[in-house]
Amino acid sequence: MKSPLFHVVKREQASPAQQLMAYVAAVILALAVGAVLLSVQGVEPVTFYRQLITMGIPGSRYPWRAVENFIRLFVPLLIVSLALSLAFKMRFWNIGGEGQFIMGAFWAAVAAMKLGESLPKPLMVVVMALCGAVGGGLYGVFVAALKVKWGTNETLLTLMLNYVALYFLQFFAETKGEWNFFLDRSSARPRFAKFPESAQMVTIPIGPFNLNLSLVAALVLCVILFVYLNYTKRGYEIAVVGDSPNTARYAGMKVGKIVIRTIFLSAALIGMAGALHVSSAGVMSASPTNDVGWTGVVVAWLAKLNTVGIVLASLLITVLQYGCQTASTIYPSIDANFANLLQGVILFTVLAVDFFTRFKLVRRGGKEAVK
Amino acid sequence: MGEQQYAIEMQGICKNFGSVAANKNINLNVKPGEILALLGENGSGKTTLMNMLSGIYKPDSGSILVDGREVAINSPEDAKRLGIGMVHQHFKLVDVFSAADNIWLGDDKSGPVLKKDRYGVIGEMAKRFGFEIDPRKKVYNMAVSEKQTLEIIKVLYYGAKIIILDEPTAVLTVQETAKLFDVLRRMKEEGHAIIIITHKLNEVLEISDRVAILRKGEYVCTVDTPSTDEQKLTEYMVGRKVELNIDRPLVEKTRPLLEIRELTIRNDEGAVAIDKVNFYIRGGEILGVAGIAGCGQKELCEAIAGLRPIESGMMIHKGDNIVGLSPRAILDKGISMSFIPEDRLGMGLAPSMSITDNMLLKKYGQSSGPFVDRKTGRAEAEQVIQDLEIVTPSTETPVRRLSGGNVQKVLLGREIKAGPNVIVTAYPVRGLDINSSYAIYDILNRQKKDGVGILFVGEDLDVMIDLCDKIMVLCHGKVMGVVHAHKTTKEELGLMMTGALDLSSKYEDKPAGIAKDSRIENNEEVEE
Amino acid sequence: MNDPINVLTLFLFNIVLVNIPLLYGTVGEIVVEKAGSLDLGVEGTMAVGAIFGYLAGCMTNSLAVGLLVSFLGAGLCGLIFSVLTVSLQANQNVTGLTITTFGLGLYFFVGKGMGERWPAMTGASALVDGFAALEFPLLSKIPILGKVVFSQNVLVYLGIAIAVLVWWYLNFTKTGLRLRAVGENPGAADSVGVNILLYKYVHIIAGSGIMGLGGFYMALNMSGSFEGSNCWINGYGWIAIALVIFANWNPVLAVLGTLVFGFFNTLQIYSGALAGAFPGALGWLNAIPAQLYKALPFLITAIVLIASSVRKREGSGQPAALGLNYFREER
Repeated sequence: MKSPLFHVVKREQASPAQQLMAYVAAVILALAVGAVLLSVQGVEPVTFYRQLITMGIPGSRYPWRAVENFIRLFVPLLIVSLALSLAFKMRFWNIGGEGQFIMGAFWAAVAAMKLGESLPKPLMVVVMALCGAVGGGLYGVFVAALKVKWGTNETLLTLMLNYVALYFLQFFAETKGEWNFFLDRSSARPRFAKFPESAQMVTIPIGPFNLNLSLVAALVLCVILFVYLNYTKRGYEIAVVGDSPNTARYAGMKVGKIVIRTIFLSAALIGMAGALHVSSAGVMSASPTNDVGWTGVVVAWLAKLNTVGIVLASLLITVLQYGCQTASTIYPSIDANFANLLQGVILFTVLAVDFFTRFKLVRRGGKEAVK
Repeated sequence: MGEQQYAIEMQGICKNFGSVAANKNINLNVKPGEILALLGENGSGKTTLMNMLSGIYKPDSGSILVDGREVAINSPEDAKRLGIGMVHQHFKLVDVFSAADNIWLGDDKSGPVLKKDRYGVIGEMAKRFGFEIDPRKKVYNMAVSEKQTLEIIKVLYYGAKIIILDEPTAVLTVQETAKLFDVLRRMKEEGHAIIIITHKLNEVLEISDRVAILRKGEYVCTVDTPSTDEQKLTEYMVGRKVELNIDRPLVEKTRPLLEIRELTIRNDEGAVAIDKVNFYIRGGEILGVAGIAGCGQKELCEAIAGLRPIESGMMIHKGDNIVGLSPRAILDKGISMSFIPEDRLGMGLAPSMSITDNMLLKKYGQSSGPFVDRKTGRAEAEQVIQDLEIVTPSTETPVRRLSGGNVQKVLLGREIKAGPNVIVTAYPVRGLDINSSYAIYDILNRQKKDGVGILFVGEDLDVMIDLCDKIMVLCHGKVMGVVHAHKTTKEELGLMMTGALDLSSKYEDKPAGIAKDSRIENNEEVEE
Repeated sequence: MNDPINVLTLFLFNIVLVNIPLLYGTVGEIVVEKAGSLDLGVEGTMAVGAIFGYLAGCMTNSLAVGLLVSFLGAGLCGLIFSVLTVSLQANQNVTGLTITTFGLGLYFFVGKGMGERWPAMTGASALVDGFAALEFPLLSKIPILGKVVFSQNVLVYLGIAIAVLVWWYLNFTKTGLRLRAVGENPGAADSVGVNILLYKYVHIIAGSGIMGLGGFYMALNMSGSFEGSNCWINGYGWIAIALVIFANWNPVLAVLGTLVFGFFNTLQIYSGALAGAFPGALGWLNAIPAQLYKALPFLITAIVLIASSVRKREGSGQPAALGLNYFREER
C-alpha cells in the first residue's frame, strides 16, 4: 500500500519579508515568461520592456498628456480595488464591480445631462459623484440584502448583474429618440453628447500638466479608507466579522447589518469611481469600465486586501496595461492585451506561492519539515 | 483465548498531535463474533484510536494486525479493502442521493454503468441483514435513525468484517437503540467483530462481551463484561481520585445572581438539547457543570449569552428577566460568557487580530467618537499580560500566534477586566499544560473571592471536585442532580454522567435547583 | 428572399447554428461544477481553445486535429485551474477570473503575433467542409424542420451528442455518481475511497476541454477571421456560466436552455426581418430594443438564482460543495 510522500498542514502566516520576496519573484517570473514569448514573436524583450516601463513618456511630444492618460486609467482601478477589498474583507464575493461601475457612471451622466446647465462647476462634479455613489451602491446593496436574508449566492448574482447593467446602458447608447437626453441630437447616428462644461472633471493646471482632481480624490479616499478600516469602530467591526462571524455575534454585533452597510459602501465607492471616470472623460461611453471590475478583483487579491498594497498593485497593473498599450503602437505584432497575459502569469505565481505561505508540507510518518 | 485468531489487534499504538499525546501505548484486540465496547471519558482518545483503524490518521508508532497479519492503513480506501468499516458519529452521506446510491458510490464489484437493479440488490441485501429500508429514499428525507441504518448497511455491503461504531446511540431513542442492539447481536452471530464506542454504562453491560477502557489517552485494561458492573467500570473510567491541591477558598455567598427555571433549549438539528433544567448561581461560588460531551453544555452557554433562542423557561438575572435580550444587553448586565470550543478560536476571539483588538471586542462601542480607543485596549492588554503572565512578543501579536494557554488567558483576562458579576466559562483549561491550568484556576478563585458567580463547564472530574463548590451533572440535557463538591466522589459523578444514578429528586422537601431565597417572587409563574 | 417562411426558417436555423458554442461551454462548465469547482474562466478557456484549435486545424488541414488541439489547449487552462485550486487551495473565484484575463491575453497575443502569417479558413478545405451543412437524405427536405434540424453541420450534432453523453455519464455511470458525490460532499466521497484529487483534476480538465471545443466552433463560425479588437468568444463564456444555472446543472436541459438563450440572441438580429416578414403577427417586435434580448439571459438567470435561494428547494442541481476547496485534514 503506497503512502503519499508528503501531506499538507496549515501553518502560521509567513513573515512580510517572505511575502514581499514571493511577489518580486512572481513579477520577475512573469516578465521572464513574457520575454520568452516576445522573443518567439521576434521582439527584443529588453527594449520592449523599457518601452513598457517608461510608457513612452520620455521622448514623447506631449509627455504630460501621457501622464494625464495614465492617471485616467489609474484612478478608477485604484478606487474600485479599494472598494472591492472592503467587500472581500467580509468574505463577500462582490464580482459585480463592472455593473456597479456602470450604474455609477449612468446616474452621474443623468445628473450631468439634467442639471449640468444649472449648477456651477465644482458643485456639479460633486453632485455627479454622489449620484454615482448612490446608483452603484443601491445596485450592490440589494445583493447583500438577499445574501443576508436568504443566502443567495452573491458571486453568481453579481456576475449576472454586470451584464444586465451593461445592456441597460447600451440601450441608452444605441437608441435614438426624443426622450433620450443622453445622445447628441445633432448626430444622425446614436452618439453620446458631451457633458456640459460644468460636469467636466476639475483639473488644476500645473505648468503644461493638468492635474486631474479625481487623482487627488482617490488618494484622499485611500487615506480615509485606511483610517476607516484601521482606526474606526466600523472598520473594527468589518475586521471582526471577516475574521470570525461567530465571534462577532458573540460580541453583540449585528452581523447582517454590518454586511449590508459595508457592501453598500463598497458598491457606492465603485459607483463613484464610475462617476469620476465619465466626468474626467467629459462624455459617457457605452462601455465605460475598461474592465476595472475584473482587474480590481485581481489587484485586491494581489495586495492581500491591504490598503497600501492596493495602491502599489494598482500602480503596477496600470503601468503594465498602459505601458503595453503604448508599446504596442510601436510593435504592431504585440497586442495591448499582452498586459493581461503578464497579469495572469503574475497572479498565477502569487496564488501558487501563497499556498506555501499558508501551508507547509510534512513528510509522511516523519518529523515535520523544516519551516 | 489463544485458539481463535483476533480479527484486529492493535499493539503499542501511540499518536501525538503536536505536543499533546492523544494515545499512549494502547493495546486493543477483538475477535470475530465478539462485541467490544470501548469506554472512556471525553478526550480519552477513543475516536482518535478508531480513526487509525479507518485510515484517517496514521499511528506514530505501534502496529496494527488484521487477521494476524501486520498492515498499514493509509487511507479510508485501505481500510475498506481490509474489511474495516466505521460508522462515524457525523454521518458521511450525500444528502441528495438515494440510499442505494450512497452505497453504490463506494462499490467496486458492479460494472461501470448504473442499472436500475441496484435498488433491488441493495434492498435485498438489507433485508438479508434484517433491515427495512427504502433504497430509493433520498437521504435528506431520512430521520436520524434511518441515516444510521444506512451507514451500517453501507459498511456491511462493502464486506466489512470489522465494524466500528462511534457513539451510535447518542442520536437514537430508546426503542431505536434496542433495535440497533438486535442488529449488532445478529451481526455478531454472523461472525463480525464489532467495536462500539459509548459512554452509557448500561448499554455497555447490555451489549458487549468485553470492555476496553481508556483514560486520558492511556490504556487502562480490558475486562470481560459478565465479570464487571457499573461501579467497577466507572472506577476504571474515571480512575482513583488524584489530589491536585487546588484551592477552594470559602467565601460568603450572596443571594442568587442567576436563576434558571424549567429551561428547555433545542440544538441546531432541532432536537431537545437542554430539558427543563433548574439551577442557580450565587455570588462567591463556583458551580461546576459535568457531563459527557455534547449533552447540552454548549447550548446552555449560548442561551445564557443570548446567542441561542430558548424553547421555554426562565432565565432571571438579579431578579430581571434576560430571556429575549440581545447579546449586547446581556453583556451590559455583567454576564460574561467564554466558551472554548474544540478548535479553541471559534467563539470569543478574533484569531487574526491583535491582543489589543481582542481586548476591545465587547467594549469597542463604549468610547465616544467614531474611533476605536486602542489606547485603553493596549493598556488593558498590557495589564492582562502582566497579571496573567501571558507570554507574547507584544500586545499587537495576533492571538492566533499565541500558544493555547496564552490564548485562554487572553480570553479570560478580557472577561474579568470587564468586571462581570456572572462568569460562564466552558472548558477554560482545554488543551493546557498543568501550570497554565493552575493559573486559570487562580484567576477564577480570585473572581470568586470578589463575589462573582461562576458557572464552570468542565471535563476533568478531579479538577471539578477540588475547584467547584457545587457540581451539577447533566446527562442528555437533563439534570441528574446537584451535589456538594466536597461531599461527592468521582464514582458518584461518573454514574450520574452516564445516567446510571439520578439524584435530581434526592431532597423531597426542596426541589432541586431552586434556591430558598430565590429572587423570583411568584413561584407559581414558573409552572405556566 | 423575403418569403416569410424563408425568414422564419433562417431564423430558426440560426438559433441552432450560432448558439451551439454556448452548449459546449455550458456542458463543460457543468462537468467542472459537478466536481465542486466554480470556474469563472470559461471565456478565457474557450478563447485559448479557439485560437490554438483553429491554427492547428488550418496548419494540418484537419478538422480532427483542430478539435483535438482545441480540447487540449483549453484543457491546459483547466490544468492550471486544477493545480491552483485543488492542489494549492487557491481561491476559485480569483483563479477563474485570472484564467479569463490570461486566456484573452494569450488569444490576442497569438493572434496579433501571427500578423501576416494568419491563415485564412479558405485555405483549409477540411475545416470549410467540416463546418458545411450536413444534409440528411430525405429528412432535410421536410419544410422548415429539414433545414433547422437536419441540415446543420457536424459540430452541431457533436455538441448535442456530447451533452446527452455527459448527461448519461453523470446520471447512469458509477464514475458519474462518484463525481457528483465529490461535488456534493467530498468528505463522504473520500470516506468510501473515492480519490478526490483524481476526480477533480480529470473532470476540470475534461470540462475545460469541452469548453475549448465550443471555442473552436466559434472560430469556424467566424470563418476564422481574426480581429484585433474583438475576441471570437464575445461573451459567450459568461452566458454559459449563466446557462449552467438556468439549466439547473443538467446537460440535457442545457440543450433546451441553449435554444431559449439562443432564441433571444438570434431574435436580436432577426427581429427586424421577422417583423417585416410577418407585419401583422410580429410587427411589435420592432418596438422591442435589441439590448433587452442581450440582457434577458442574465436577467432570467438572476431571477432563477434569487428564486431558488428563497425557496431552497431540494431539487436544485447546484452541487452543495460548489466553490469550496477540500482539505482532508479538516474533516
